[in-house]
Amino acid sequence: MAAPGGVRARLWDGPVRLFHWLLVGLVAFCWWSSGDHLNWHRWAGYAVIGLVLFRIYWGFAGGGAARFSSFVKGPRATLAYLATLGSRARSETPGHNPLGALSILALLATLVAQVVTGLFAIDIDAFEGGPLSDRVSFELGRQIAEWHELSFRVLQALVVLHLLAIVFYAVWKRTDLIGAMVTGKRRFAVDPALDRAPMWRFVLGAALAAAIAWIASKGFRF
Amino acid sequence: MASTTSRGARLAIAAAIGAVIGGAAVAGVALAHDDPMPKNPSPATRAAYVRHENFEKLGKTFKGLNDELRKGSPDVAVVKSSTQTMLSLANSLPTWFPRGSGVEARPMSEAKADIWTDAAGFTAAASALQVQVSKLNQAAASGDIAAVKAQVRPTGGACKGCHDKYRQEKKS
Repeated sequence: MAAPGGVRARLWDGPVRLFHWLLVGLVAFCWWSSGDHLNWHRWAGYAVIGLVLFRIYWGFAGGGAARFSSFVKGPRATLAYLATLGSRARSETPGHNPLGALSILALLATLVAQVVTGLFAIDIDAFEGGPLSDRVSFELGRQIAEWHELSFRVLQALVVLHLLAIVFYAVWKRTDLIGAMVTGKRRFAVDPALDRAPMWRFVLGAALAAAIAWIASKGFRF
Repeated sequence: MASTTSRGARLAIAAAIGAVIGGAAVAGVALAHDDPMPKNPSPATRAAYVRHENFEKLGKTFKGLNDELRKGSPDVAVVKSSTQTMLSLANSLPTWFPRGSGVEARPMSEAKADIWTDAAGFTAAASALQVQVSKLNQAAASGDIAAVKAQVRPTGGACKGCHDKYRQEKKS
């Protein structure tokens, strides 16, 4: 099936794309609401908890390119990929390449740090705070709020790197990553024929993630 | 082909290194935190440090009140003593800002110069806090927990109103 111009093949499944674009919207909203709308900020944060939990789950239960095992590689494979980075050949990796995998892991880890610190953080006015802020002292809650801000700076840096990588792939490697994340399809020399996870796994993961996010919003109290 | 290859790779590596250095710089600034009061401080410097302690106490008390109110059945005695402490702090707050006790007295101070250049505005903001905390204390004194719960938001709003105008965040 190696047609001359390649084939448009399925790459990202619906859950991955939905996760990605909801996360983009929510992170932007969290940034905006962090100043004067901490009540909305909190709710958006709970939604991010649900999304991140779902993506971690999907990294094990999802199919094809969503699985961690399909894209997380050791140092040797990463260095080997790094050596090919300068080549202008189109990217043929069906999903995250070994370098992109590091970016994904860093983004997820930073998001985890972001939501965990958010649960305990307290605002300078000692009024708005995360649902677990009553478990820590004012000083510690303030310290955690500073970490919350620091981890957001790290997140911003990672997002900038992510965007630079997209531009690099578009310009240097003539590979359209944004279109693939919108339509789910990308051009490959040969269809990688990725497998897809059954619907029930998505429903189960989404329900579990939503339930845990809801419990977190209650400060894990019943 | 070799030269174009290394150019592309260098571009990507430079971007990655830039992001790491940027992150590390932010982390370094944020970790330099300790700022003890110097020996033999001037009155203005002492005022800047004492003010910080007073605000810590005010925040701590307000947080304690909010934590208490979040419980199923808040302890009225805790609520009352919290609002009394807040009221006496709010009432003395205007005396915490002697002229010259801003960043010139303590570089880490978060007090903006506008506190003194816009003294009328600052006094009005401090009075607004006193009004809200006084209402809060009255509600607590009457033992009406629902009324206290209704009054904490405008009280927090008064804190924020002043912070937005007269406080500058120090990232350290």
